[in-house]
Amino acid sequence: MSVIAPNFKLSKFIQSLISDIVWALMIMTLIGLPIIMMVLFFIPMPVIDGELLTPFLAFTYLADPSRLLPIVQAFMTTDMFKVMAFPGFGFAALLAAGTIFVERKMLAKLQLRVGPFYCGKFEGILQLMGDGLKLISKEIIIPAKADKPIFWAAPVLFVASAAAFVALIPVAPGWVVADVDMGLLGVFAVIGFFPIVTILSAWSANSKFPFIGGIRALFQMVSFEIPLILSLLGVVMVTGTLNLSEIAASQSSFPWIVFLPVGAIVFFITMLAELERIPFDLPEAESEIVAGWLTELSGMMYGLVQLGTYLKLYAFAALFVVLFLGGWNGPMIVPPLPMEIATHGMEMGPVTVKISGLEPLLSQVITQEMLNGTLWFVLKTVGVIFFILLPRGVFPRIRVDMLLNLGWTKLIGLAFVNIFIALGLLYAGVLGPGGLQ
Amino acid sequence: MADAVFLALSVITIGSAIAALEMRSLIYGSIALMGTLGGIAGFFFLLDAPFVALFQLAVYVGSIAVLILFTVMLVKRELIFKKIEDKRRKFAGIGLMLIIMVSLGAIFLDSGIKTITTDEPTVNFRDIGTDFVTYYWPALILMGLILASSVTGALVLARREDVENDQRIN
Repeated sequence: MSVIAPNFKLSKFIQSLISDIVWALMIMTLIGLPIIMMVLFFIPMPVIDGELLTPFLAFTYLADPSRLLPIVQAFMTTDMFKVMAFPGFGFAALLAAGTIFVERKMLAKLQLRVGPFYCGKFEGILQLMGDGLKLISKEIIIPAKADKPIFWAAPVLFVASAAAFVALIPVAPGWVVADVDMGLLGVFAVIGFFPIVTILSAWSANSKFPFIGGIRALFQMVSFEIPLILSLLGVVMVTGTLNLSEIAASQSSFPWIVFLPVGAIVFFITMLAELERIPFDLPEAESEIVAGWLTELSGMMYGLVQLGTYLKLYAFAALFVVLFLGGWNGPMIVPPLPMEIATHGMEMGPVTVKISGLEPLLSQVITQEMLNGTLWFVLKTVGVIFFILLPRGVFPRIRVDMLLNLGWTKLIGLAFVNIFIALGLLYAGVLGPGGLQ
Repeated sequence: MADAVFLALSVITIGSAIAALEMRSLIYGSIALMGTLGGIAGFFFLLDAPFVALFQLAVYVGSIAVLILFTVMLVKRELIFKKIEDKRRKFAGIGLMLIIMVSLGAIFLDSGIKTITTDEPTVNFRDIGTDFVTYYWPALILMGLILASSVTGALVLARREDVENDQRIN
């Protein structure tokens, strides 16, 4: 006798099944068909692969799923896909989520702890999902005398700035959301928005710990923006362009870190400061000022700020890769795609399976170069992210006067040294026209 | 399309400029000032000058507005500002502004700006750079010296002598 359903009766079960089917058919006829008609009458449908895309055509995809491929291809070339999925938000958010888990686990291993362990069968692999569900289900508490409009808007603005930053990063040849001529200047402009959002969020909470944290963040970000911009000027000088795609493409034989190591080191240190990571995590110093400027944020507002922070981390690491490590350039390690299967079909004994829409998809959208570029880009970015995470397990936090001294004297001086190295390389003829690249 | 964007940008710029002056809260006033500066950056985008527009964003919104915001937050305004509310002064100010705007507009319209037609390509920022290092190099060097001296002066002024030596790093 079943314990789970003691009153089970087969006749009742069949009756309920039939009733469900009748209801589904009725809803389909009364609501679904009128909706299809309305769509057909009022919305201009796209023509894909010589066929007008109609809802009735969509029913045939149930019988032959391979007919979906042209639609997938058409969708992958739209701007919407670029913004939402591949070089844009979805891709970056996936890497950011991976970063959060790897950071927690790696930090725990460095400190001889276990880290996330119980969520999920293997090594707490589902911890992130659990944390996300927890943050969504928690109440959002607004401090009583907070400035409510700014307090509500700040996390959203933070994520928006981070997403704008991500949009400027080229991942593979031609795969970039916003391919602007002034990409690097756009990056500088977007970086300038983070301190504004931070200080506004900190001020609007009307609490002392966020305010102290916000002022520290402002000090740190504004004073480290100068060496950051100066350290990147060397790359602009040797490439002669501000377009990030062109900068990445210009490093086909040498990455610029070979010639401009000083600039790369300065940029890496300023990157740590801009990201508020240890040893520069004064704005969030949890042992001094609770959680810094994040103290009063709760629930999904905190979740949004965390998402923005890790998107920013990905974007900075990707910018380092694009500017100094050669972007998507690398040896071709992805094997050639199986084009004969796409064109002639796959023979399995007497049966030949041919998928019709595969050939244009493989030759135009998902090409070998794109896969290879993405692979190299992701590998390099993950490496840089690893080096950003590593100091958290090694270094203590430094004092604010040491931080400002470092930024204003040492890093700016080194950035100028880097500019003179770049100028010397150009004038000596090592780089530039007639030189190596 | 461009006209609609231009109108929207004008409304944002002028509206937030008025808001920056009239807001009771200094913080909201400085946020409105950021809106004004961002709107001006939008005008530069419309004029096909993204170089200037992005510098406007990076410098004015990213640095100057942040400095203003920072100063405003650390100030108790009751200690500094006394409210002088005077209807006559307000109307006199509005009248003066209108006179200046109307006369400036009259001068602009009279100057023949309507009849100018441009078919020339937009100026590339590389050309500006080339001009700076070839024909206008004395101006560039002068600007560089002025900036360097001001940065040095700021660093000297910001140096604190009263900090004990053992508190310093190194």
